[in-house]
Amino acid sequence: MIVDKIKKRNLPEKNKKIKIDIPVGKWAKCEKCKEIIYKETLRENLSVCPNCGHYFRMHINKRLESIIDKDTYKKFNINIETNNPLELEDYPKKLKSLREKTGIEEAVSAGTGKINGEEVVICVMDSGFLMGSMGIVVGEKITYAVEQAIEKRLPLIIFSASGGARMQEGIISLMQMAKTTSALTKLDKAGLLYISVLTDPTYGGVTASFASLGDIVLAEPGAMIGFAGKRVIEQTIGEQLPEGFQTAEFLLEHGFIDKIVERKDLKNTLSKLISFHKGGEK
Amino acid sequence: MAQKKEDNGEAIAKSMFEMAKLEVPIIAIVIGEGSSGGALALGVGNKVLMLENAIYSILSPEGYSSILWKDSSRYKEAAEKMKLTAKDLYDLKIIDKIIKEPTGDEGLKKIANNLKKEIKSSISEMNMKDKRQIVEERYNKFRNM
Ligand SMILES: [Zn+2]
Repeated sequence: MIVDKIKKRNLPEKNKKIKIDIPVGKWAKCEKCKEIIYKETLRENLSVCPNCGHYFRMHINKRLESIIDKDTYKKFNINIETNNPLELEDYPKKLKSLREKTGIEEAVSAGTGKINGEEVVICVMDSGFLMGSMGIVVGEKITYAVEQAIEKRLPLIIFSASGGARMQEGIISLMQMAKTTSALTKLDKAGLLYISVLTDPTYGGVTASFASLGDIVLAEPGAMIGFAGKRVIEQTIGEQLPEGFQTAEFLLEHGFIDKIVERKDLKNTLSKLISFHKGGEK
Repeated sequence: MAQKKEDNGEAIAKSMFEMAKLEVPIIAIVIGEGSSGGALALGVGNKVLMLENAIYSILSPEGYSSILWKDSSRYKEAAEKMKLTAKDLYDLKIIDKIIKEPTGDEGLKKIANNLKKEIKSSISEMNMKDKRQIVEERYNKFRNM
């Protein structure tokens, strides 16, 4: 399963030497080139490895900081909690500890803000929160954001980063795909612009709903994007899949996405696209 | 819809998107094992009916236990937890109606009759409504999930 794979990639490195030599919290290791990087340097470089150009996954706050004009982000005030529909014993505890650990409430933040002066509704997902999975809270926030875009007649931007529907909430999570998708039909009818930005990783029920439905679909270089994991598909069909399958570059070649944009250029690309569509009309 | 060679996430999204816009009533019926996006791609109905012994879930119990507990052999436990029976889903307001499946003599015929009766009554109920209502009611149904 893809989620296993993604989770494994997120595990801390087990290199003892590093653990001993480096003060915890100040340094990060690039999983691609294995270079040890000072976190502050990484931060200044938009979480892109200065040595090899590898894209680290971004925390919601860092993403917002890199896209939204300073002090213009206003988070929507939505206070909903999951009712733990499957009555899993450890699920509420897990959410609580994740909130403390990550400093964010859920796998998505939604609100309004400005991109080079252009007002937008923006949602940013974070794969560091239960793999960015979509349960009722994520589904509700995305849907509410779509409705707010319609009400305020603003363009909608969603940065996806998710392993898919949230297993812990069972069928309720699955239904969030229908909910968010239905909301987007209204945005479409209202003639408003929706730009979907796919970041690493975007999988499962998120790919199979709002993330694929942008009027314009952008992706970061090297992002892994798909529905089921590559290994699962190979096992199902009994065939090897081509090299690079499910990378942003592969998807661009096959027409699933419109453009790959480097992280440093995302803000300006978005504001240009928005001003081309100014007035919110498509 | 099984996962085929091409990765069909976008196809599922577009299928739901088009269903959500349709101005005619949609009745979706779960008759066997419905799971994941493939089932939902055809499940955005004004009415969602389900056979008494069918299952409808986020993922197969094997897949579920493998993702959640890293152990696909715990599928029985997963099936218990997942609330995938018609009764569970009716209680969760995911489906609108359970179609009884009598066994014994002419069981299949009786099931088909029950199904026919429900389809007919759903259609006649929805035929009273105009296009806008049909779309709006379907929207609200999923909006509240
Ligand atoms: Zn590197």
